[in-house]
Amino acid sequence: MVELLAPAGNLEMVKAAVENGANAIYVGARGWSRRRDAYELSDEKLHEAIAIAHGGGAKIRVAINTNMQSSEIPSLLKKMEKFVGWGVDGAIMTDVGAIAQVHRSFPGLVLHASIGANILNNEDVKFYRSIGVSQVVADTKLTLRELASREADIDVGIEVLIHANHCYTYLGKCWMSPYMRLERTPDDFGKDVFRGSPNRGGLDYRVCLEKWELLDDKALLEPVITLKNAAFFYLDDIPALIDLGVHCLKIQGREYPVPLVAGIVRFYRELIDTYVAKPAEQPFDLAPWRMRLEAIQAERDSKRSNMTLVLLNEARQPVPPRV
Amino acid sequence: MGPFELNTTISNLRNLRESDLSAYDAVYLGNIYCRIYEDNFLERLDDLEEGIALVKGQGLRAYVTSYAAPRNEVLPKVQKALETAAAAGADAVEVHNLGVLRMVHEQFPGMPAHIGGFANVYTDAGVEVLKEYGAVRFTPNYEISLDEVGAITSGVGMPAELVVHGKMPLGVSDYCFLLEYEQKWPEKCPTLCQKNLFLKQGDWAMRTVGKGVLSGKDVCMLEHLPALIAAGHNVFRIEAAYETPAYRLNIARIYRAALERAAAGDRTEDESAWDTIREHTAVGLCNGFYFGRTGAEYVGKRPQPAVAC
Repeated sequence: MVELLAPAGNLEMVKAAVENGANAIYVGARGWSRRRDAYELSDEKLHEAIAIAHGGGAKIRVAINTNMQSSEIPSLLKKMEKFVGWGVDGAIMTDVGAIAQVHRSFPGLVLHASIGANILNNEDVKFYRSIGVSQVVADTKLTLRELASREADIDVGIEVLIHANHCYTYLGKCWMSPYMRLERTPDDFGKDVFRGSPNRGGLDYRVCLEKWELLDDKALLEPVITLKNAAFFYLDDIPALIDLGVHCLKIQGREYPVPLVAGIVRFYRELIDTYVAKPAEQPFDLAPWRMRLEAIQAERDSKRSNMTLVLLNEARQPVPPRV
Repeated sequence: MGPFELNTTISNLRNLRESDLSAYDAVYLGNIYCRIYEDNFLERLDDLEEGIALVKGQGLRAYVTSYAAPRNEVLPKVQKALETAAAAGADAVEVHNLGVLRMVHEQFPGMPAHIGGFANVYTDAGVEVLKEYGAVRFTPNYEISLDEVGAITSGVGMPAELVVHGKMPLGVSDYCFLLEYEQKWPEKCPTLCQKNLFLKQGDWAMRTVGKGVLSGKDVCMLEHLPALIAAGHNVFRIEAAYETPAYRLNIARIYRAALERAAAGDRTEDESAWDTIREHTAVGLCNGFYFGRTGAEYVGKRPQPAVAC
């Protein structure tokens, strides 16, 4: 049975995800995941999150998917020791060195290669498998045909994002945001936070969503260029993904309000269950699901637009001098 | 190798023939962003073979680069390019994708691998893993600082290749938005992306090459070369894949002379070099992320305007 993986940016969202049918939940360890700290959990909260998830029969994964600094790996290992002791079910990671070290230290822990690892081809999958990864998140640009081509001899689970963004660039291969603004400050626990760099655990200012002019040297060619970057919900492809045998359908969105995330989780839970329960020969009508999704999408789009404006405004603020 | 290596990137045979490479020690052949870039070496294997011979014939090292973001369907072509590189005597291949690194390691075990900037090297532990796959050199991810680069090189004893001048890569896409507008303009693919195209908004500017985004400003580490040499760095790149032969030559001459002075302990500066550098930049200069700051900032004695597009 395909796993439905839900996001949680706070304990309330963990609870809501469990109650609405997520099989697994991922949370970010504060300072160590690809979201701003407001949507990450302190160690104590993460401990509580594990208890809530397990109490509801769900698994929990911790996202430690920043590209950290060399000097931070020892503290990462200490943190992981604590999380493993608390019973975390898996870790979502990006840096190949950190993955290899965590795998060596905790060989029984399930490791997921994050979207930030930008795994694009079957040789990539084999590489990550060789350093201890057992599940990989497929890049959002990959087609069903590419996913289907995963060779049978690659013993790796595939996770597909069903609510996320199609960025203009490949995720994990973009540093436009910190090129415009990077604020490096230590957090309350002494870890560096790179505000402006999503790869390094700060926030992404979404500078690609500006209304760009295109110039040839100094001559204006186009007054407004829009670099494609759209949030998406999968619907039409869900039956094919289930039939294909993907291991996990993953919802992104730790930064959204709890009721919205709860609604998304409930929607996909019911969609998956209904599809799986129907007789194989019976056609599946997506029309009613499409109507239901439209309302969710409208709310998501409104929240996302507001967040983008806030982020673009923040990107224009001067960086305070370092103390 | 002498006290240092200065290298650059050239995408096709025409650019290679038009370029005076006398100030360089090595050249990377191929365009990492786009398969249909004009006569991309990575697609025209006869040209690649000839290019390797031309570079080596000048007494330089010939490296072959590879795509920044190869999907499954591209891997057979990557395989052919690797075969050509090996057969023609390329001195190394550059890989930005860890799947391709695995291919090089398994199928061309004697071929040195240089890890490219899109391979996301951020830690010494990461380089330790890549070393097991035949990596002998790495370009750190562009968004890490010199302090962090130093922590990696001292930790694993592998040289870092540093972009010291040129447009720093900021991102790679599978989608060329320029093709949407192509019909309106006199210039068409595959040469459209070679025009000096900038995305601009207020005081922000980025260079676009369709499937790639580069810094609007030119990274310039000229005044910091003595510090780089003192820190033990000795492999430097002029990132000029989308620049003119004049840029490639004039900037390299300045850097070669400055590196030779720095390597000899001579701290004098050639002030006239700055006029040439200014002539070859459209938007100004920056240091990238080397000093742990916003990538578009410039640290040094020659402050830059916010933007001058």
